[in-house]
Amino acid sequence: MIRSDIIRGHLDAIILRLIYEKDYYGYEISKEIGFRTYERFQIKEATLYAVFQRLERKELIESYLGDVSHGGKRRYYKITKLGKAYLRETIEEWKEIKEIINIFMEGLD
Amino acid sequence: MKKINKHVEEWFSDIPDNEHNQRIKEDIVMNLEEKVNDLMRLGKAEEDAVNKAIVDFGDIEDIKAELGVSGVKPRNRFSLHLGFSLWGSGLIIALSVFINFYYTPDSIWFVYPTFAVAWWPLSMFYKWLANR
Repeated sequence: MIRSDIIRGHLDAIILRLIYEKDYYGYEISKEIGFRTYERFQIKEATLYAVFQRLERKELIESYLGDVSHGGKRRYYKITKLGKAYLRETIEEWKEIKEIINIFMEGLD
Repeated sequence: MKKINKHVEEWFSDIPDNEHNQRIKEDIVMNLEEKVNDLMRLGKAEEDAVNKAIVDFGDIEDIKAELGVSGVKPRNRFSLHLGFSLWGSGLIIALSVFINFYYTPDSIWFVYPTFAVAWWPLSMFYKWLANR
């Protein structure tokens, strides 16, 4: 397992990106993250819910009750307009950061 | 599945019980149950699956921080310093009073060390007050 503290700082963006593609519910997101990273990164549920709270408070995502699963209705999250704008900005920022870090991290083996 | 409920209740025990938090709690229970079902489908025994789901959950403090619930209340550490200084200086003063009246009852000199020692609890009291 890789050191997750560096990823941690980008979790908001990672989850926003997923919700940007389609509406997700909690467990589905943790599965999807594991699946896409070939299980190299797994998000803890506690962390995931903390991110949901933060994003909801900032009005970057919204939640609604969806279809019925085992014994209850699932809560889905969808991105807001503000969330989309925020995601675009974060992606631009990330490209910039990546280039800067790469200046120092590449070329050595 | 009862075990999951019990654990989630425990995690949420010092989070205020309002509608919003209730919603998160229910959501977490539902998601954990689904995870347990998935793990059982992969061939785990129910108990193993429940345990794995609970261990994998992570640290509830993350959620508490977002909900504005500070987990352990930061104690004013200067109250310990203040208590220690009060006891320490009290003992030193008592000792000098005792020596004074036992050996030299004719001259009262214990007030001088008393004043000197009094700075200790006084400064700690100031620190304690500033940190309250």
